[in-house]
Amino acid sequence: MTRTLRKVALPIGVVALGLVLLLAFAPTREAVLAFLNGAFGGRNNFNLYSTLSRFAILLGVAMSVLVSFRAGLLNIGAEGQLVLGGLTAAMIGVYLPAPPLVVTVSALLGAMVVAALWAMLAGLIERATNVPLLIGSLLLNYPAVYLASYFVSHPFRDVNSGATQSFRILREAGLPRFTGTILDYGIVLIGITALVVIVLERTSVFGYRVRMQGYSVGFARASGFPTRRLYYRTLMISGAIAGMTGFVAVFGMNQRFIDGMLTAPLYAWTGIAAVLMAAIIPWVTPITAFFFAALATGAIGMERSVGIPREVGQIIQAIIVLYLSGVAGKMLSGRDGKGR
Amino acid sequence: MEGRPTVGARVKQNETSTPAVCRLSGISKAFGATQALQDVSFEVRKGEFLALIGENGAGKSTTMGILFGLLDPDAGTVEIAGRPQAMRSARDAIAAGLGMVHQHFMLYPDLTVLENIIVGQEDTGRGGRIPLATHRARATEILRDFDFALDLDRKVADLPVDARQQVEIVKLLYRGASVVILDEPTAVLTPQESIALYRMLARLQAQGTSIVLITHKLDEVMDNADRILVMRRGKLVAERATAETNTAELAELMVGDRIEVVEKHSAAGADVVLSVANLTVQRQQGKPALRDVNFEVHAGEVFGIAGVSGNGQKELVNALVGLEGAQGAVRFAGRDILPLDVAARRALGLGYMAEDRMAMGLAQAGSVAENLIAGREGKSAFSTRGFLTKSRIRKFSRDLIDRFDIRTPSDRQTVAKLSGGNQQKIVVARELSARPQLLVVENPCWGVDVGAITFIHKQILELAATGCAVVLVSSDLEELFALSDRVGVLCDGALNAIFPRDGLDAIAVGAAMTGGREGVPA
Repeated sequence: MTRTLRKVALPIGVVALGLVLLLAFAPTREAVLAFLNGAFGGRNNFNLYSTLSRFAILLGVAMSVLVSFRAGLLNIGAEGQLVLGGLTAAMIGVYLPAPPLVVTVSALLGAMVVAALWAMLAGLIERATNVPLLIGSLLLNYPAVYLASYFVSHPFRDVNSGATQSFRILREAGLPRFTGTILDYGIVLIGITALVVIVLERTSVFGYRVRMQGYSVGFARASGFPTRRLYYRTLMISGAIAGMTGFVAVFGMNQRFIDGMLTAPLYAWTGIAAVLMAAIIPWVTPITAFFFAALATGAIGMERSVGIPREVGQIIQAIIVLYLSGVAGKMLSGRDGKGR
Repeated sequence: MEGRPTVGARVKQNETSTPAVCRLSGISKAFGATQALQDVSFEVRKGEFLALIGENGAGKSTTMGILFGLLDPDAGTVEIAGRPQAMRSARDAIAAGLGMVHQHFMLYPDLTVLENIIVGQEDTGRGGRIPLATHRARATEILRDFDFALDLDRKVADLPVDARQQVEIVKLLYRGASVVILDEPTAVLTPQESIALYRMLARLQAQGTSIVLITHKLDEVMDNADRILVMRRGKLVAERATAETNTAELAELMVGDRIEVVEKHSAAGADVVLSVANLTVQRQQGKPALRDVNFEVHAGEVFGIAGVSGNGQKELVNALVGLEGAQGAVRFAGRDILPLDVAARRALGLGYMAEDRMAMGLAQAGSVAENLIAGREGKSAFSTRGFLTKSRIRKFSRDLIDRFDIRTPSDRQTVAKLSGGNQQKIVVARELSARPQLLVVENPCWGVDVGAITFIHKQILELAATGCAVVLVSSDLEELFALSDRVGVLCDGALNAIFPRDGLDAIAVGAAMTGGREGVPA
C-alpha cells in the first residue's frame, strides 16, 4: 500500500498545487464555496447529481483505458469507441421495432460489439502494417467521430428539431432515473463494471497475465503466455467498456445522440488523464475519475457565481495532463514494442 | 606465469619518443555494484595501430565509451594532446580529434554518401543553404588523398556493407579525426573485404592517423597492430608489442591465468533427451544466423555453448525455446517441438533461464510471488477455474524464497528493488521448481555477485544430477568449463567444434571461437 501511495503522491501534489493556483484567481471564501457548491451542491443537490452523471461517463471511459494501459497497450482510441458505441445504441434505440426491454438490451450489446470491433481494428492495423497502436487507435477516432456527425446531421437527423441530433430513442427503453433526481441508473451499470475490472485484475489468471504482459512483453512471451490472444482480448474488452459507456450516455442523460455530446466534454481524454493520474492502478482510478468530474462541474459553478472563467479549470486540467504525460513516457520507455 | 615480464615492466620498455595523442589515467567506472573498469591507464601514440582485446564484459566498450565522452568515469582523467579534457559528449570527442566507427553503422540510408559525410559539419552559408560545392571539393580531396573509391552521389542504402564502412571512415577523416577507433570492424565483412579494410587503415596510419582497434579476432590483431592491450574483468592485464607475442599467449591472457574446474561429478546418462538436427535460422537478409546445427544432449548432461557473442547463440536459444521460427528439427520428449509455441514446450518439460533479466527473465515491476509462478499460473496448483488461489501461491513463494535463499523482505516485494543476484535466484527458483527435463540457460551469472554465482552453478549441477539435460550458453569460458560435460563452439552461425570435458582447453576453444578449427570437428 505504501508503494501505491508513493506512486500517486506526486500527482496528488501537482493537483493540490493546481487548486492553489485556481484559488489564486479569487482567493476568497466565496470562490471555494462556489467551487464546492458547483461540484456537490445546488438546489436539491442538483450539482452533485450532475457531477455524478459526468463521473459515470468518465469512469466508464477511464476503465476502458485502464484495461488497455494495464496490458501495456497504448490504445488512445476511447473517443472513437465511445462515439461509435453511443451511435449504435441510438440507432437501435430509435429504429429497432421491439419491446422496450429488448431494445435496451440490444442497444447495450450492439454498442459493446461495435466498439469492441473498432478497438480491435487498431490492433489489426498494428499487427498487419506496423502502424503503432498509439497512432492507429488515435487516427481511428476521426472516422468514428465524423461518421457519427454525418449520421445525425443527414440521414438520421431529427428533422423536427433545430439541433443536429438523432430522433429520441423509444421512451420506455431509456434508463430509469433515481427518483427525484436527474441521475440515471447508468452509473450503477458502470460502477459494477468498474468493480468487476478491479476485482478480476487482481484475482483472475487473465488479469495476472494482462498485468505481467503490461510490465514486460518479453517476459510474457518467455513465460509462454498466449500473448497474441491477450492482445486482442484486452483491446476488445477495452472497446466494449467504452461502447457500454456510449450506450449509457445515450440511453441515460440525453435519450438521443446529439452531435458532439461525447466529444465536446473531452470525456475520452479526461479518462486517459484519470488513468495516468491513478498510475494505472485499478482501484485508484474511480477516485481520480471522480476528481476530474468534480473539477469540471465545480469550475462551471465558480463561473456562474463568482465569475471565474471555467477555462481556468480546464487550464489546470491541461497542466495536470501535461505533467502526467511524463508518466506515460515512463510507461512507453523500457518496452520493446515488438512481439505483441 | 613465471618468466613473463609484468605489465609495468612492459610499459617502461615500450616508452618511446612518439608523442601521445591521447592518454587515459587511472580510469575507474562502476555500474551499480559491478566494477566495469578499475584503474585503467594507457595512451594512444601518434600514427600507431593499437589493438584493445578482451572477452565480452572485459571493459573494452566501457573504456571506449569514456574516451569518447559517452560515459563519465568515476575516477581518472582523459588527456588529449597533453591537455586534460572533460568529455561531456561525443561532440567534444569529435572536436578533440577522436572518431569512432561503431559496430552498427551510424548512417542515414536515405541520404547520399556526400550528405552522410558532411552531417554535423554542414556550415550553412547565406540563407541557410549548405555550400555543397565546397563540401564536395573537400570530400573529393580526402577520397583522393586516402585512395577511396566512393561515389559521393549514391544513396547509402544502395551501397554494400564494406562501402558503408568506408563512408563511416571518410566521415571521421572529414571531421579531422586524428584517432580512429573501430569497434569489431570486420564482424560484418567477408575475409577479402577485411583485407581491404586493413590495407586502407595502413594508409591512414602512414599519413599519421592513429588507429585503435577493438576486437576478439586475434589473427587480425597479430597481422595489423603495432601494440596490443589486453583487458580482463575491467582491468588492463597486459601490454605487448605485436612482434613479441603470439595468438596463444594472447588467448591465455584474455581468458585468465588458468581456468580452475570446480568440483563436478558428471551425471550424463545414455538417453538422448534433446536432439537438434540441421537447425537453421534465416535472417531477413544476408547469410543465415544459424546454419545446419546438429547436436544431441543426454539425460543429466550439461552441454555448453561457447562463442563470441553474436555468432548465433541468441538464435539457437530462441529456436530451442520457441521464441523464433527455425528450420530443421528439434526433438524433445519424443517429438519435434519446432512447430510448438513456448507454452506447449514448457508443458513438455522445457525450462528457460533468459540472460536478459530486465525484459525476458523477470517482470521487474511485478512482485516476487508474481514472478515465481509465471508460466504455471494456469496450473491447478495456483488457480481454480481461472481464479488465482492466493494462499497456495503465497505458500509456494515463501517456500521457494527459503529454499533458494532469495533475500527479500517479503513475497510481495517488487522484483526491481532486489539485487541482481537475488533477482537471478528468482529465475532459478522458478525454472528449477518446475522440474524440467530440459533446461536452456543463457549467461546465468551476468551481473550477479560472486556468492550467488557459486549458488546458481550448484543448483544447475544438482538439477543435471536428477537427469535433466542442460544447454548452457555462456560467454564466460570459466563458467562453461566448470559446468559442462561437453562444449560446442558456435562461430558465424555454425557449430564449429565440440570438445569433450577432458579435452577442454582455453586456447583451442578460443581458436574455434574465432574461426579456427583446432578442436574436434563437430
